[in-house]
Amino acid sequence: MRRKRPKRLLILLMGLLASNFLILSSLSAAENLKYEIWVKLDNQEKMLHGKERLFWSNKTSDEIKEIWFHLYYNAFKNEKSTLMQEAREQGRFLGLEVGDGEWGWIEVTEIKLADGRDLKPSMEFITPDEPLHPDDQTVMRVILPEPLMPGKGVELELEFQAKIPKGILRSGYYKDSYFISQWFPKPGVYEEGKGWNCHEYHLNSEFYADFADFTVHITVPENFVVGASGKMIEAARNKEEKAMTYTFYQENIHDFAWTADPRFLKIERDFIASKEITEEEYTEIAHRLGLPVAEVRLNDVRMILLIEPEHKVQIERHFKALKAAIKYYGLWYGPYPYETITMVDPPFRTGSGGMEYPTLFTAGTGIIRNERVLSPEGVIVHEYGHGYWYGLCANNEFEEAWLDEGINSYSESKVLEKAYGKDVLSFSINRIPLACFLRLPEYFGYELDRALAIHVVKIDPIMTESWKFMNRASYTLNVYMRAETCLHTLERVVGEDMMLRILRTFQTRFRFKHPRTEDFIAVVNEVTGRDFTWFFDELFFRTLDFDYGLSSLVCEKKPTHWRGVFDFEGRKEELTKKEIRDMEKKERKEKRGEKEKDLYITRLMARRFGEARIGQDLRLKLKVVFEDGSEEIREWDGQERWELFVFEKNSPVLYAQLDPETIWLIDSNLTNNSIRRNPSRGGILKLTSRVFFWIQNLLQTISGWS
Amino acid sequence: MKIFIKGLGTTNRKIMIAVYLWLINSAFSALIVAPLYFMFKGDFSRSLMGEKLLKGSDLLWLGDLLYKHRNNWPSLLGSLIVTSFLFLLLYIFLNGGILGSITSQEKKVCFSSFFSDCGKYFWRFLRVFLISIVSYAIIFLLLGKAISSLLKIWTKSASTEWPLILSSNLKFLLFILLFSLVRMFFDYVRIRLVVEKSRKAIRATLLTFSFLKKRFWKAWSLYLTIALISIFFLVIFLAVSSHFPGVMNLFLFSILWQQVYVFSRMWTKVLFFSTEFHLFIS
Repeated sequence: MRRKRPKRLLILLMGLLASNFLILSSLSAAENLKYEIWVKLDNQEKMLHGKERLFWSNKTSDEIKEIWFHLYYNAFKNEKSTLMQEAREQGRFLGLEVGDGEWGWIEVTEIKLADGRDLKPSMEFITPDEPLHPDDQTVMRVILPEPLMPGKGVELELEFQAKIPKGILRSGYYKDSYFISQWFPKPGVYEEGKGWNCHEYHLNSEFYADFADFTVHITVPENFVVGASGKMIEAARNKEEKAMTYTFYQENIHDFAWTADPRFLKIERDFIASKEITEEEYTEIAHRLGLPVAEVRLNDVRMILLIEPEHKVQIERHFKALKAAIKYYGLWYGPYPYETITMVDPPFRTGSGGMEYPTLFTAGTGIIRNERVLSPEGVIVHEYGHGYWYGLCANNEFEEAWLDEGINSYSESKVLEKAYGKDVLSFSINRIPLACFLRLPEYFGYELDRALAIHVVKIDPIMTESWKFMNRASYTLNVYMRAETCLHTLERVVGEDMMLRILRTFQTRFRFKHPRTEDFIAVVNEVTGRDFTWFFDELFFRTLDFDYGLSSLVCEKKPTHWRGVFDFEGRKEELTKKEIRDMEKKERKEKRGEKEKDLYITRLMARRFGEARIGQDLRLKLKVVFEDGSEEIREWDGQERWELFVFEKNSPVLYAQLDPETIWLIDSNLTNNSIRRNPSRGGILKLTSRVFFWIQNLLQTISGWS
Repeated sequence: MKIFIKGLGTTNRKIMIAVYLWLINSAFSALIVAPLYFMFKGDFSRSLMGEKLLKGSDLLWLGDLLYKHRNNWPSLLGSLIVTSFLFLLLYIFLNGGILGSITSQEKKVCFSSFFSDCGKYFWRFLRVFLISIVSYAIIFLLLGKAISSLLKIWTKSASTEWPLILSSNLKFLLFILLFSLVRMFFDYVRIRLVVEKSRKAIRATLLTFSFLKKRFWKAWSLYLTIALISIFFLVIFLAVSSHFPGVMNLFLFSILWQQVYVFSRMWTKVLFFSTEFHLFIS
């Protein structure tokens, strides 16, 4: 008997081990990460009570021993979180001040495997980033009882509760209005050979996650209007609790956000591709992209607008902008792959405006708007566009923010230019746009962004991890404006059609993947057939100022006689000034009546003022225009610090221009790209007179205090 | 109405006051703008970008200008603040000439008498200015804070943007009206000092309280009427300006039109004093 007992125990133990192995591996067939989440909104306590079922599979060749989760809401838990500490360090503490009772947090109350094994004992907060903020709780780790083998999956069940913060940084509530984002425990991205890519929630960063299928059941008070990522597939009423449960479903997205507000007006319309796009437009774009027409056709999309009642006069503006975005992003970069897009006019004071989530985005507007100012159009096109870059080509926004923000800023400016033309500079006083009363300057988006971009060249390279930029301004100006300006420059270098092909290739090749900057560079090189690595080295990876210009232009009549001592028939003879004058006088008399053909020498100095250089296979164009209307075109490789160009012509020079087509938009000083022989004052007088007028009025206003 | 017409008559008869003010304002502005002219000249005169200046605002040249002088703007702003303060002092000086000329029996204004009055009343008006600063501080800091706090109670619980729009504009309007009240009050203080040939600024301030107590609505409605005239001029100026094409051949006309508007502001200032003077002596 004694002998049999150990054998039975052994068999039992082996059975247990085998069963665990089976549980961990039984879900290996899952292609995608899968979430099923049940969440109930407690409107009184401003809490979320959630249950999450998570199917996670190991698609790498590594054995994975632990899973890291984002718990983003803990960034708003107290002043010691990484985000709040960074805000304090950058002087933005006041802007992110949280009142008593308004903090937010998330707590995982239970986490276990589907077979019931509890992972909570192994749960701990970690702080993987530098500099260290040891009290941050936005990244959590659990240890698996056995390593998850390559190709195998695991099912987890979590329960959590979250306190919604009061309207702060993309998420929150105000009274009974909610915008809920980054609200559920979300695994990071496991990278083969590198481990978990799961950063803390930083002030100057956004997000990164794997694509997944989401089924989310949202229970809210019955009078609340709800919008969410994906498509609503069910709505069930609970009469006893006076609640509604809405179920949303969407495949292949990497985040899920939702909003609830009893005040929302919900309007649904369809983008019907056959009505919005003509055959000529399809043919034209197909030709430009070098694709068959069938490949550029767009799908129909259900557009859902949730708008606050006080903005309802702007419903048409919202839909017009969204249609333009769906049309042009679709034609240029690929059809929108989802059935629905939800556009949210963010609830008042929830801090959630101007933000993107897969298949849902928030815009933002005001009650008083001017027709000529592209607001809310600009933010609508921009946030929809994010769905293409961050949404479909899901780059790591922590580490390479420009791949989303920069590319999207570029593409947004192209769409707005195409759909609306120029924007109007927008200033408001007491929330009333000045454009209602004054004629304000018009501009294209890239002009404004270039003006801002040139200020940060010497601070940080574009390719900086988001939380390591010097400050918020450097982050914003680099990843949005400077990256955008560089892309506009690239477009001008390679041509508009080529740039279209680059972006379309990048979009379609990396949909539902996680591209990096090197992938984008590889696409540029492949599509253009040239090596543009230098472009990114100079402008993205380094802080090199790009500035070519013309520093001097001298034009003089070529002398026909020269002063000095000359050897003449064996003797030295001096030619003096007086003798030259007499000779010239005599020559003029003899040539009287003949058309004068003086020769002029023009000396033009081209300079490289900045550190950045153009690629060695490229040339800067130099155009020189003469008074007789003739032109000379030269090229300069721009490698050395300067180059002298000399021209001999029968006409004096009028002006010279380096890069006359302004291909190098990233140049920090376009003014020095041209030089005239004779100064011109008309424009200066006009500008000065305008400034004079403003000063006069300012002084007269000040005199009122006397 | 009679007071207004009398004031209008005095302003037009003594139009040279407005001319002197315009000349002084222009000279002072030219001093401030001169360095900027040379800066623009240095940057743009030999560049083709200078041609874009003719076409109005363009973010390419504006961006270049802001970037190139990014380290200079703080000092330029500082200079502007200092020169504005100096201009304020200058206007305290000029107020003496304005009121001296308006109250004078002489039908015409001459340069020497204008400036003689400027000097004559300067120290009294400086004392009035200092008293007025205290009043502005009380009004805007104390009363203004109270108004802001009250409005904040309203907007704190706002469910939409409307309360914020209404409260910010209401606050703005209230401050403008309070400012006009204080300004009007001290106009009468100055008029009293000139008419009564007094040097006692504090006494004149106290007497103005009782003066305005009896004639407050008359004085304020007169003041607001002229303020409306000033706003009317602004509206006309903006409406006509918005139809200007940005071409060189209308450049001179647009400068002329701008100076007409600036002159109208000087004329309105004189009109304020003239009508107040006639109300004071009526």
